[in-house]
Parts: sequence; C-alpha cells; structure tokens
Amino acid sequence: MPISSLFNSLVGYEAKRKRLLKKAPDGPLKDFLSVPFPSLDTPIQQLPILALDFETTGLDAKADKLLSVGFVAMEDEQIKLNSCYHQIIKTKAQLEESNVIIHQITDTQKEQGQPLRLVIEKLLKALAGKVMLVHFARIERQFLTQACLELYGIAPEFPIIDTLVIAKRQLDKRDVAYDPSELRLSSLRDKYALPSHHGHNALNDAIATAELLLAQINHKPKTDKIQLRDLIL
Amino acid sequence: MDTELSEIASFIQGIPPFDSLPQPALAHLISELSINYVRKDETLPPNGVDEPRLYIVRKGALSCLSSDEELVSRLGEGDLCTEFCKKVLQSPQDEQRVSRQVKTDEDSLVYSLNCDVLRDIGNKYPSISDYFNHNSAERLKLKMSKVNEDAIISSTLMNTSVSNFYHSPVAGIDASKSIQQAAQQMTEQGYSCLVVLDNQKSIGIITDKDIRRRCVAEGLPISASICEIMTRNMSTIDIKSNAYDALMAMTAKHIHHLPVTKKGEVVGMVTVTDLMNNEGHNAVNFSSIIHKAKSLAELKEISDLLPKLQIRLAKLGASADHVGKSISAITMAFTKRLIEMAEEKYGQAPVPYAWLAAGSQARQEQLAHSDQDNAIIICDSMKPYDDAWFENLANFVCDGLADCGFIYCPGDIMATNPKWRQPVKKWQKYFDDWVDTPSPKALLNSSVFFDLETICGDAKLLESVRKNLLKKTKKSSLFIAHLSKNALGLRPPLGFFRDFVLKQNGKHKATLDLKHNGIAPIVDLARIYALSEGVSAVNTIERIQQAAGTRAITKSSAENLIDAYEFLGMLRVKHQAKKLMQGHEADNYLSPKELSKLEREHLKDAFKVIKTLQDSRQASF
Repeated sequence: MPISSLFNSLVGYEAKRKRLLKKAPDGPLKDFLSVPFPSLDTPIQQLPILALDFETTGLDAKADKLLSVGFVAMEDEQIKLNSCYHQIIKTKAQLEESNVIIHQITDTQKEQGQPLRLVIEKLLKALAGKVMLVHFARIERQFLTQACLELYGIAPEFPIIDTLVIAKRQLDKRDVAYDPSELRLSSLRDKYALPSHHGHNALNDAIATAELLLAQINHKPKTDKIQLRDLIL
Repeated sequence: MDTELSEIASFIQGIPPFDSLPQPALAHLISELSINYVRKDETLPPNGVDEPRLYIVRKGALSCLSSDEELVSRLGEGDLCTEFCKKVLQSPQDEQRVSRQVKTDEDSLVYSLNCDVLRDIGNKYPSISDYFNHNSAERLKLKMSKVNEDAIISSTLMNTSVSNFYHSPVAGIDASKSIQQAAQQMTEQGYSCLVVLDNQKSIGIITDKDIRRRCVAEGLPISASICEIMTRNMSTIDIKSNAYDALMAMTAKHIHHLPVTKKGEVVGMVTVTDLMNNEGHNAVNFSSIIHKAKSLAELKEISDLLPKLQIRLAKLGASADHVGKSISAITMAFTKRLIEMAEEKYGQAPVPYAWLAAGSQARQEQLAHSDQDNAIIICDSMKPYDDAWFENLANFVCDGLADCGFIYCPGDIMATNPKWRQPVKKWQKYFDDWVDTPSPKALLNSSVFFDLETICGDAKLLESVRKNLLKKTKKSSLFIAHLSKNALGLRPPLGFFRDFVLKQNGKHKATLDLKHNGIAPIVDLARIYALSEGVSAVNTIERIQQAAGTRAITKSSAENLIDAYEFLGMLRVKHQAKKLMQGHEADNYLSPKELSKLEREHLKDAFKVIKTLQDSRQASF
C-alpha cells in the first residue's frame, strides 16, 4: 500500500526512529535505534518479537519504580526459552507490603538485584529490530520511556503488539457488552484453554503473553496472511 | 535454577525419563525448549520447523496414525511424541518400520526440543539415552530386572539356591537295621531324619514321625526292620533348584524333610525349619494347619486367612509367579485334605484315579479365592457302577472348596459334571476330537483343559493322555490355527489417554481389565506355543521358556513376553493386595489413575510386546 508506506515514512515508527537516531547520544540507546524495525507488511511468520513484562511498585511511571524485568524472544511463531531473561532491579525505594505480596520480591532480593542502567541496556539490546509484545502496553511503554529519559535524556519510539488490545478489538467488533475482567491475561488464557500460569513474575507473564498471542493469531481467519499491520497497537 | 521457570520445570520434571535429571541438567534442557501453538486438525511438525525434534504435549491432544491411517496412539498432557526424533536417536527396528502421521485433535500447546540437544543430554545422562534408544521390549526388560533386584533384597528364598541351606553329609542308615537302632542313631546324632541305604544306594527315608505313627502307634515291635516303616519313592530336589521351589515342594506334599540330590545321588537334606528361619513365610504353616484340620468348618476358618497371605506375599515383594505358586500350592493342600476327608467318609476308591486341576490352578497362577476348575480321570478298568463313588467324591470336594471360598466354576468345569469325570479312554477321545475336528466355539469352552495338572492320585493316568495329545497337536496345523484365532480375540489396548484406557478403535474406557487385556492374551499365546511345539509344561512362564528358540517363538521374543507377563502380574498382585487391604474383593480392574506415569509407560511397552507377538501369530496362519 503506497499511501500507508508514505504515511509511515513521514510519521511512522521507522521515521521517528531515524529522526531520534540523529539526536541520540552514543551508547545503548543509539545502538538500539540504529537497527531498523520490521516493516508493517512483515508476515507474522517472519516477525521477530520480544515478549516483555515489567513488575513495578505502582502505576505511575514518574513516582513509582521498576522492580523487575522479564522477557523472551519469539521467532517463526515459536517461543525460544533460550532467550529468557529475568532480572530484579536494585532501587532505593522501600517496598510496600502490598507490593511484596503481589510480586513476591522482598527488599533482600532487591538488594541483590542489578542497577536499572544495566537491565535497560540488556533490554534495549534484545529489543533492537524487534516488535515489543506486552499485555496492556501502558505500563511497559511508560516505564521504559521514563527509564530512557532518566538514563539517556531522550525517549525512544518502538512498535508494540498488545494482546489486550487484540482481544478488545475482537470483543468490540461483536458489539455486545463485556466485562473488563474478560481482558485480563488469565481470563484470556482460559478462553484459549492455555494452561494456568503463575502470574506476577515478569518472566512468567512475558511467556504467558507470548503463548496468548500464538493462540490469538492461530484463531484468526487466514492465519497465513497476517502481517504486522494487522496486530500493531 | 531460575525460579522464574519453576512452572515449566515442575511440569517437565514430572515426565519420565526427565524425572531422573539433576537440577542443572533440567535447567539446561528447559532453556533449550521452544513453545509452539498448533491448531486442531493440523499436523506436526509445525510450519517452519524442519529439524528433528522431540515434542512434549503441554496442553491439548495429538493422534499418531500409521501409514494406513490406523490410530496407533493418542497423546495428552505430559506425553512425549518421539515420532520425529527416531532417525536421530538410535532407533529400535520394530518401531521404525512405519512412517507415521501426527495430527492435533485439539488446539495444542507443545514444547519441543531439538534432537541434537537431546542427544547431548543423553550422552551425559545414560538414563535419558537409554529411555529413547531402547524399544519398548528393552525398556520393559530394564524395568523387570530392577523389580527382580528388589525382590532379591526383600525376599531371599526365591533367588537362593538349595545349596545354601542343605545339611551335608546326610545321615544314612543301612536298610538291614532295626527301628530301635534307627531311633538310637537319631538320638545320638541329633537328627530327626535318616536316609535308608541299601548297598550305598538310597532307597527311602525314615523320620521320627514315621517311628511314632507307623511303629509305636501301630504297635509294631521295635525290633522290626526299618524297611517296614520307611517312606519309599521319596521326593527329592536337585541341588541347583532354588530354595523357594524346595519350600513349595514341601508345602504341596506336606513333608518337612527333603533329600537334596546332585546328579541323582542324595548328598544332603533340607528341612522346612532351615527355610522358615530364613523367611517370614507362612505358606508352609498354612499347608500344615490345613492338613491337621479335622472338619470342614475348620478348613473354612483357615481359608478366610488366604487373602491375608496374598497381601503378605505382595508386601514381601514376591513376584506374581511366586504368589501364584504359593496360592496354588495352598489350594492343592485344601483339595487334598478334602479328598482325604471324602475317602474317610466313602471308603477307598474302587479303582485308581486322579483328581485334576484345570486352568489357573494347574498353571500355578492362582490368586486367592478364584473359581475352581477341576476334573477326575479314572482308570479304564472302572465299571459303570463305580461312578457313584466318584460322584460322591466330586460333590464332597467341590462343595467343600466352595465353602472355603473357591466359587463354583460358572462354566461348570468341575468334577461334579459327569462330562468331566471320565475314564482315561474317554478323556483321550475328548482331546482327539478337539484336535481332529476343531471348532472355534468348542475350543473356547475347552481351552481350559489344555492346562491340566494332577493334584492327587495316580499321575500316570493324565501323563499318558497328555503325551498322546502333544504328539497330535504338534502335527495339527488346523487345530493350532483355530486355537490361535480364539486366542487373538483378546487384544491389549493401545495405551492411555489422559485418565482413560485407549482401545483399538479409538474409544475410551474408564478402567483397564488387567486379566483380559493383558494377562490372558499372554497365557493364550503360551498355550499355543506349548501345544504347537509339544511342550508338556503347563505354567505360562515355563511354557514360554521351553518354547523359546523353536519355530513358534524366538528366544528374544520369549524373554520379552516373560518380562511383559511378569510386569502385568506384578501390577495385578499389587492392585489386588490394595483391594484386599481395603476390605474389597480382589478384582482385575485397574483405574489408570492408580498408575504412576512410569507404570503407564511400562504398561504401554508391555502392550506393544503382546501386540507384536499376536500380529506375528496372526500372520503365521
């Protein structure tokens, strides 16, 4: 589609990437930005994806802290466990009890974690040239943006697939009321008869999200024809 | 290992053979997994995968089909699909011949492992490579050798030779000596038993019990010759036999001393006490109290203890073979005691005869309180009016057995049925007819008579019939074909799918009938091998052993079949012990839920062994 590729070259994520690349300081972010993203017409079978999940102390990227990062890569519609990464981040913030219960990350574990800078470096390296896959993009996008602003002074732009949005689009199309809880990761996994998983661990959630995406695309009509443009946020 | 992958780890860890991997190796294996999602009605391998891989079903269901679209197995959560890594892993020939199709029956989430990685892990951990490199028969063999090792640890008699127990030299006494002299020698030497020698050749045995019962009680002068009270034609046991067989021989014959022979010469003596001291075994006690029972009521009381004995044996880790032999020996003791009682009541038999056991008792594979199958063979010199005595005997013994918990045979295969209470020539005719003009239905009803053993009486009567029979069956291919046709009617299931037993046609059944789906098909095969090769043994394992290496069955197939039989028997003995302990009746219906993942695997292997041999039998006629 020439119109959309024209549109893309002006305001799309590739255009933004190129613009930002010029501004970015030498270092991990520049390296990240120097790898082109897959184009919108990339068939799903060839799309390199990084499923990602963050555990945080809260929902506000400015006030709250990133606690842990987990990700796993997907190629050829396969989740590759040898690309698994999970890291707890060492921050100064005291953990609130309610959060400890959810994430099961204690202050002691946090003390043994790595500094944010190293973890973000690792993440950017893995994410370069890939599409980010998350469930409910707001958290990951805002916290990664915030972290990059703090570390490098500028925030990158990247293509995202959001399994929650894919599910929401389908439900909206049916034009019947639904309960927002149907959009939870665990509810959606149940819907596709995926095995129950232990939530609130960043890596487990990343794998769970990747499995959910596989189920979603396999249940779409004409699975072979799906391209990035059909899924992108 | 990363606690983050603990869910995947605990899933993989529950699947044999990976359950044997240490943590670091397991972590490595998991890190090499790929996860695929395959929709219903697709085929494996998934699109884009062209390297050979092992697949593990995480969720969903797969069907493996043979090249002619026949369902071979169905896989559910936690099952391994090795169809695509056989060429890489050294593959067993018998499973390689068919190229199979694997299709998804449900939307499935599958983990997969590159076969190169699997091979590397296998090189470091032989338990993994053994699992994938061995075919079903070999895996079963490994399992059974492990089981047998356990049996050695828990029960020594079965695998200890008589040579470890016997006393030597044996105390002998010259046949010219008097009873008093014998008693004096026993007292001096501290023996309760002497071997009677004539020109250095043993001609009998004399025990202190003989002196009490046959001399003192009878009022015989103590100056009489020991030949008057000794037991001639004594039973002996070869020095190479195992101690368990010695114990069983004494139990069945109700004797306490057994001379041990080496190349036919008496070299020593083994006593019940010697063996009992080595084993908390009470089959001998059982047979001893049965022998002492004065009334039917007493016998009945004793029989109530039989299930307890079976539990005890199972707990001791006895193999199914040994449990079967013990229970059969005790049933034999019951039968003998009842016959003695009948003879006390109705007087001595008018002509020589023998009481025969058929079916599982004859094969020495009986379990507590199974049904009675019996018959009487009578000397041809019998007159028509003699039958009245035998009818009395049959009624007395069969009713007595029924009172003791051995239920009447539903097929009326009992000595009470005049048809099965016949002189030698009539029996010969029965067998001739079955062999010469076989009909499938007649054979189905009479196959139990091809497993026949003398319990009591003149063993020569049956032997002559059996000899003629085997001569005929060896030559009659028509008869063997009919017998095979019947026998192949019972097919083992394919395996398991989730908590169901998977049948040939793909339908599920809730429980597995161990007897009809596993044990009976092997018993039937063994009978065919024996009859077609003229093997006189009746016990299933002995039949297979003796037929091994003939044109009926190769040596290695025979070994595989015995492994399968022992494994199924072991499961059955364990299952029945569990049922009996819960106060239920011992049945043969095993719920797949009762089985461990590993036991399921071994059961599948056993089914495969049976199926292979049934198929080759089918192909041979």
